[in-house]
Amino acid sequence: MNDPRKTIVVTGIGVVSPYGIGMDRLQSGMLSGKSCLAPSKDLYPGFAGSTAHVASLPLAAKDNQPRYSRSDRLAMVAARDAVRNFDCEGAASRESAVGVLMASTVAGLSEIDPAIAQDPAAWFRNGDGLLRAASYPPAHVADAVGDDLGFCGPRCAISAACASSAMAIALAANLLLDGAAPMMLAGGSDALCPFTLSGFNSLQALDPDPCRPFDQNRKGLNLGEGAAVLVLETLDAAMARNATVLAVLRGWAMTNDAFHSTAPHQQGRGLADCMRLAMEMAGASSDDIGYVNAHGTGTPLNDVAETHAYETAFRSRTRPVPVSSTKSYFGHCLGAAGALEAAITIMAVRCGALLPTLRLTDPIESPFVNWLRGEVQRQPLPLAMSVSAGFGGSNAALIFGKSESGKNAFRNSESGNGLA
Amino acid sequence: MTPILVAITGIGSVSPYGPLAGLIPPCSTPEPESITAWPTPALRRAFLVKPFRPASVVPGLKTRRLDRLSAWALVASSLALQDAGIDLGQPEPEPEKFDRARIAVVFGTGFGCAELTEAFYQSAAVNGWRGTDPSPFPEGLANSPASHVALWHGLRGPNITVGSKGVAGESALIQAASLLRHGQADLAIVLAGDTLTRAIYEWYEAAGLLSPACYNAEALPVSLPEAGDSVPSAFMPSEGVVALVLEPAGRRQARAYAHFNSGRWVAGGQPVQTIRQMLGDSIPSLIICGSGSPCANGSTIALAREISGTNVAVVPPQIVPPQIVPPNPVAAGLPDTGAFLHLILVLSSRPRGGQALLLGTSGSGTSVNRGFAALLLELPRS
Repeated sequence: MNDPRKTIVVTGIGVVSPYGIGMDRLQSGMLSGKSCLAPSKDLYPGFAGSTAHVASLPLAAKDNQPRYSRSDRLAMVAARDAVRNFDCEGAASRESAVGVLMASTVAGLSEIDPAIAQDPAAWFRNGDGLLRAASYPPAHVADAVGDDLGFCGPRCAISAACASSAMAIALAANLLLDGAAPMMLAGGSDALCPFTLSGFNSLQALDPDPCRPFDQNRKGLNLGEGAAVLVLETLDAAMARNATVLAVLRGWAMTNDAFHSTAPHQQGRGLADCMRLAMEMAGASSDDIGYVNAHGTGTPLNDVAETHAYETAFRSRTRPVPVSSTKSYFGHCLGAAGALEAAITIMAVRCGALLPTLRLTDPIESPFVNWLRGEVQRQPLPLAMSVSAGFGGSNAALIFGKSESGKNAFRNSESGNGLA
Repeated sequence: MTPILVAITGIGSVSPYGPLAGLIPPCSTPEPESITAWPTPALRRAFLVKPFRPASVVPGLKTRRLDRLSAWALVASSLALQDAGIDLGQPEPEPEKFDRARIAVVFGTGFGCAELTEAFYQSAAVNGWRGTDPSPFPEGLANSPASHVALWHGLRGPNITVGSKGVAGESALIQAASLLRHGQADLAIVLAGDTLTRAIYEWYEAAGLLSPACYNAEALPVSLPEAGDSVPSAFMPSEGVVALVLEPAGRRQARAYAHFNSGRWVAGGQPVQTIRQMLGDSIPSLIICGSGSPCANGSTIALAREISGTNVAVVPPQIVPPQIVPPNPVAAGLPDTGAFLHLILVLSSRPRGGQALLLGTSGSGTSVNRGFAALLLELPRS
């Protein structure tokens, strides 16, 4: 076993997804093959296509203040879900130094309407405009989570477009190794709102139908919303408090394409480098990776570039690498996507369940990729990778593995995380 | 992690002092400017970056469709690399020294590309959400400046944008140094900055945070407050981007402005205890109070005084003693990202060598919910 002081483990997962709150809802929904995508016009009149939204977002009355944006509230619920098994009272002093790294691309934009652009001063004076605008900076999401839980460690927002929350997890792991905090909450949160729907619509990036990642007939992406938060700590610290280890973060890497402000590098150069670096950190060969949870947005450019990246990174494998895009279930949750997909990847490792891409009937041809489709495949999964990419050429790769033997091995039915 | 010292070997900036490579020339003192970029009911002033053509500073740079924050990041990063003596010209530069795949960009910002975000809202106000102009949307993302820096210089290492209330610059520097120490990059360009837009300025105004000097031609105070004096919580907003080049000390023969030794950055707790623990046996001779939110200036100075002994010079964020640098509150006008500008202003005054603590705070409450960042720097003897 590696040095437990330098081994980063996941000891909590909190999720708010269109399936509901918690990993159990996410797991049962996805394993049943249910798609949460529904016509956008039901919620956002005038917009065609499909979206997936979180129908119910309960919070205590005191939390229902205008100073919290919808992204804040999604994050707070996910964070509470992630730490619900903690003995906070028993470990108050230690946990007060917990850090929070939260990603968001929307943050408080959901609370602001176009009238602000024409006369900001009047908009601020109108009702709670001043407070609503105060939730605009992405750092507000991290502050909302940290303040809600009373965590006072390092705290910041991470912005790397759609790779943001995967990077938040990677950077949180760095900070743990630096000894900057005894434990880190890392994840992402993004709300659906007209701002992002309008933006992607203006770029003609939205599929008018439910998206079909990696299909030759794909037409674009669908937007979703949600939040996911992982609790990360060193194995040493987890063992000291007798915590259940849900997964080991075996490797992580971040790169940039340095190619174009919105388009990925056509050969997937940056993403391939990123996967290679993560495998090097994990001490894993390309044959060791049993499953890749893809970025797989369904846009024409992304999916081809990503396929090329897999062909480069996994060229030496003896068998094609199993890949699926779970954005086909509830859309692209932008800044939350990387963390949600990290949670799904951990679920896959724990359950030995390889989720298929929905609606994938005519996949991009590649001799190096085994596109998962049809039924859920069951097999032992020692290592799995989650990859993310975003506007601006950002890439991130995370490799999760099973805990090794011992007291902190998986306790499937006891974790309460719905990960049995 | 290998404990390595990280050197600051290059500085570039775009600020009310103008676009500059390296330190700020002595006796530079920008004056507040009247705001003309948007309609104001009467005189409104701020420290503004004078309009300039980025291509006149960095030949070939095309910035027409970019947010000013991205344009300034491109200029500041180019000037910082130039100042560090690093030529990233085509083809691959000095491969034995710099592999572009191992150069990171870390950008700290409070508001991101607010200008184009406002332009996108304006487009929605005029055309409706179904008819928005596509160009401001991706360029308005907070990570656009960092990604443009990577694109222009061809940098394929980690590319990260961070925001942290009051201490975004400090957070960016700590995380950039962490990338170097973990071997995830060989060199990092770390930037911090914000632009001043109409919505941001009017938000400050509506929140009652603007200094009276924003409304008339009166001068800002320049004297150093005595212990116990109240420090003004209002401020005059500013704008700009500062870029620093970070690399492991001793990796090549390069001048170092300062070495980053260690840092702490937290959202609360016991700051004095935490900082003293970080300092160990170190005794900084200078405490530079970086930005912090305007309403936190008082608590930053209070914290500095609590940490420091009687022989330690404290440079407050808003009111700079003339004997250290020309009196100027420009850096304090950047609530989340002024620390780098404050640092280079102090370095420009050629302080005596020794250790310096760069201190920033956020929030104004009790020590328990007062966030702070503390960076221990080693200054070379001038």
